Amino acid sequence: MATLPQLTEEDIQKLDETLQEFNTSADASVSLIIDKGGFLITHHGDAGEFDLTTIAALASGAFMANQTIAGLVNEPTFNSTYQQGEKFSLFAINVDDHCLLVVIFKSETGVGVVKYYAATAIKRIARQLKIAKKRAPDEGLDLSMLNVADTQYFFRKKEKEKESGGKKRP
Amino acid sequence: MAIINQATRELQVKIVYYGPAMGGKTTNLVQVHDHVQTAAGNKGKLVSLATSSDRTLFFDFLPIEAMTIRGFKTKFQLYTVPGQVIYNTTRQLVLRGVDGIVFVADSQFEKMAENVESFQNLTDNLQSLKLNLQDIPYVLQYNKRDLPNVAPMEYMEFLLNNREVQVPSFTAHRCEGVFETLNMITRLLLHKFINQSVPQYA
Repeated sequence: MATLPQLTEEDIQKLDETLQEFNTSADASVSLIIDKGGFLITHHGDAGEFDLTTIAALASGAFMANQTIAGLVNEPTFNSTYQQGEKFSLFAINVDDHCLLVVIFKSETGVGVVKYYAATAIKRIARQLKIAKKRAPDEGLDLSMLNVADTQYFFRKKEKEKESGGKKRP
Repeated sequence: MAIINQATRELQVKIVYYGPAMGGKTTNLVQVHDHVQTAAGNKGKLVSLATSSDRTLFFDFLPIEAMTIRGFKTKFQLYTVPGQVIYNTTRQLVLRGVDGIVFVADSQFEKMAENVESFQNLTDNLQSLKLNLQDIPYVLQYNKRDLPNVAPMEYMEFLLNNREVQVPSFTAHRCEGVFETLNMITRLLLHKFINQSVPQYA
């Protein structure tokens, strides 16, 4: 499986501009670019109380599950999902092999307008990701500045619990 | 695959806990969620898509932020897969984009066949995603060592550990070995990334 290209500041800026224009045109509350593995790449809009990290993980899972279902009923053209809500609705659309655009919008906004502007936005997003990929096709990661010696204890148990062996006694 | 965002100086990594049904995968995440020491706001909600009988239906998900290394925020996304055989398609979906794997084996003697079957299923599912377990950092975890009917470690090594991966001995529901495992897979992951990106000199 190919990796997502390494994204520079310029890439993220271009993606943010695209999302900003999209949100204005489509009257969307928040739009997210997510990786199909569940990572949030970038977002734009008023996230408010939304937990975007979790939404990204669940949206990618739901999208991929629906795509699999579409395949099982011999539907080859699946590329988007729509969740209709009373307050907020959610629309997810395929961008390329790696990414999805997820849009959260108020329910009074019609999904038609979201779909219409999303069609243009995903082309721009895909183009920018392609540029990033072309810039360094074999280089998905550059972590040479990280020092593993620093990482002996990434995660620690809370101090008090460590002393008591981590057991909660009744 | 892991995402590095130079603009926000973030590194995002996906770790999947794999293994047979009722082996302790969800318990691992619950224990990390309950006991990890993090700064405020660095630990997300533990999301569990489970059946009414608490069996994982789709996946469990725990986003967690570790320390900053050289200016990079390291964000880990921990997933479990459903262990039941019928949920294989779901397991394939969750494995997409995986960076590291923790295989949670059940140490009870009668679970050995399920352990082996699940391990084979893992390699098969990775192949279907054009991935190879040999290229992915993974840690084996022999869970439930506190039960009376456990198989000897040597036997489990013989059955499951053909790559001499590190194996923490472990009882998840008491939070023993949970953090050792997580730190172990984290170190392996970072070693791999760094070895990929730094020129190797003889």
